[in-house]
Amino acid sequence: MSASICGRLPACAGFLALFLPVAAAADLSLLDDGALSDVSGQGGIYLSGDISINEMGGPIQNSYFGSCGEVGKKCGARLAYRLKQDGGWFVIDDIRGSFAFEGLTLRVRHVDSGFGGDGALFNRDVVELGLPNVVRYNDVQFKLAASSTARPTDPGFQQTDILSIQMQGDVTLEGNLLVFPTGNP
Amino acid sequence: MARITRQTRRRWLSPFMAAAMGMLPAMVSAELESMSENELSDISGAGIGLVLEDFKFAHGTDVANGQIFKIGGIKSSDGQDVEIVVNQLYIAGAGSNYGETLSPVNLGRLVNPFTIDVVDGNDLGIGDRAVLSIAAPTKVSAMEGYDCLSTGATAGSGVCSSRPMTADFAGERPDIGLQMNITVGANQSSNLNIHAQSAVIDGSYLRLWGDSDRNQLAGEFKLNFYSPELSINSCSQDGSSCGSRIRMQDFALELALGNKFQPMFLDVDGTGNFVVEVQAIAKPAAGAIGADGLRASSDAATWDFYNDYYTNPELRSNLSIGNYSVGARDFGSARVEGMLIQYLKIQTQDLAP
Repeated sequence: MSASICGRLPACAGFLALFLPVAAAADLSLLDDGALSDVSGQGGIYLSGDISINEMGGPIQNSYFGSCGEVGKKCGARLAYRLKQDGGWFVIDDIRGSFAFEGLTLRVRHVDSGFGGDGALFNRDVVELGLPNVVRYNDVQFKLAASSTARPTDPGFQQTDILSIQMQGDVTLEGNLLVFPTGNP
Repeated sequence: MARITRQTRRRWLSPFMAAAMGMLPAMVSAELESMSENELSDISGAGIGLVLEDFKFAHGTDVANGQIFKIGGIKSSDGQDVEIVVNQLYIAGAGSNYGETLSPVNLGRLVNPFTIDVVDGNDLGIGDRAVLSIAAPTKVSAMEGYDCLSTGATAGSGVCSSRPMTADFAGERPDIGLQMNITVGANQSSNLNIHAQSAVIDGSYLRLWGDSDRNQLAGEFKLNFYSPELSINSCSQDGSSCGSRIRMQDFALELALGNKFQPMFLDVDGTGNFVVEVQAIAKPAAGAIGADGLRASSDAATWDFYNDYYTNPELRSNLSIGNYSVGARDFGSARVEGMLIQYLKIQTQDLAP
């Protein structure tokens, strides 16, 4: 992260200043209005992340949930939702694993060219989410299921696991997601 | 509604200041100013548009390099575990040569993007409901659209909005492919490959709303899928030898599940099984349709309603294959057109003992 930020000098100095306030203070001087007017805010965010969900197991310990080392217990998160009053529950069960990415970017971009001629017609601002090229999955898994009750500890619990999905390794995810309001804002 | 008009404290731009601002956020107060009625009236609630630019997705199983993509949890009728190993799944630019060379592609157009919106149900014939709509690019008039199947389509040749790849533009029609093998118990099958070239889903949508009579989520799903070549073949596990390729050229699927008169309902029953239901069309009141079935002897409004229901092409599903071939043998074209769902109920059953 520091490598990309330090390409831009004022931000880099600011970054270092957080760590070395005393040493950096000596060489600082005021910017006059002319110099200030040349500074444009470089809007944008560069994100790297490592997100893990119940990799070792969640906080709940009961007859159904436990740590991932316990045989016969589920250690992943559970999300249940119901589409009908007094109906059964759709469940995404046993959600766990971690995924890591480096270089997700977020910025506002003005589009007025490209896109096979659409850019010039469009001529507006969009929010651009730059996808990170590679997302590293580490033992990501979840199950799709249908269940009679929201919680597995509720009385009368019955569940049919429809399918489970397991993903591991590098997933290629390239490109930019452009988000903008439709209609005439 | 308010907007930031100016930042007040901008006289210093020293790192000290920057650090200080981080610790004392109150000092960076920006002034908010209310908007006038005129400015507000220009703002209309609208949905969001989504476009993927230079997009490429690929994942698969390559055990030697630590890549795994498996779908499991399915059991065969004799109780053995069935595991689907996805060797490759890709969404990439046209001309991928069955997934050999993956290049970027755009999905959706800036002037006709994928949209997520909450729309007024009265405009769609779904009375007094707010409808959540998730939609692919819409179809456009034949004056400006592109042929949905042809990879060399030019403007004015059809009703699809997404454009095919040209020499200097990747277009908006991706190649999509899935290569998998299915393991039942200890028996591993050969690889099964499915590839769609230059795929278009324009005009597809999913609409969801609440049905107050049944207190249930109701929906309408339309899937349009056009591809100049949808192919299936199987190869040995190491991919060295492959069987004949089954090709479906000029493949066009227009599937309508649920509509404003017959919503699709999703539910789970008391034993944890999955239920999909497309409601039956309402029966006319006794005597509303004359014995001879003609308009003159019937209640005019009722007769018109059913006449519209049975003649509206939007409510019907179609499948058309321009040419079906296996290896070098051609079997000609196939069409199933005008399928109308009167009533549909699908309920899963657990086969496990």
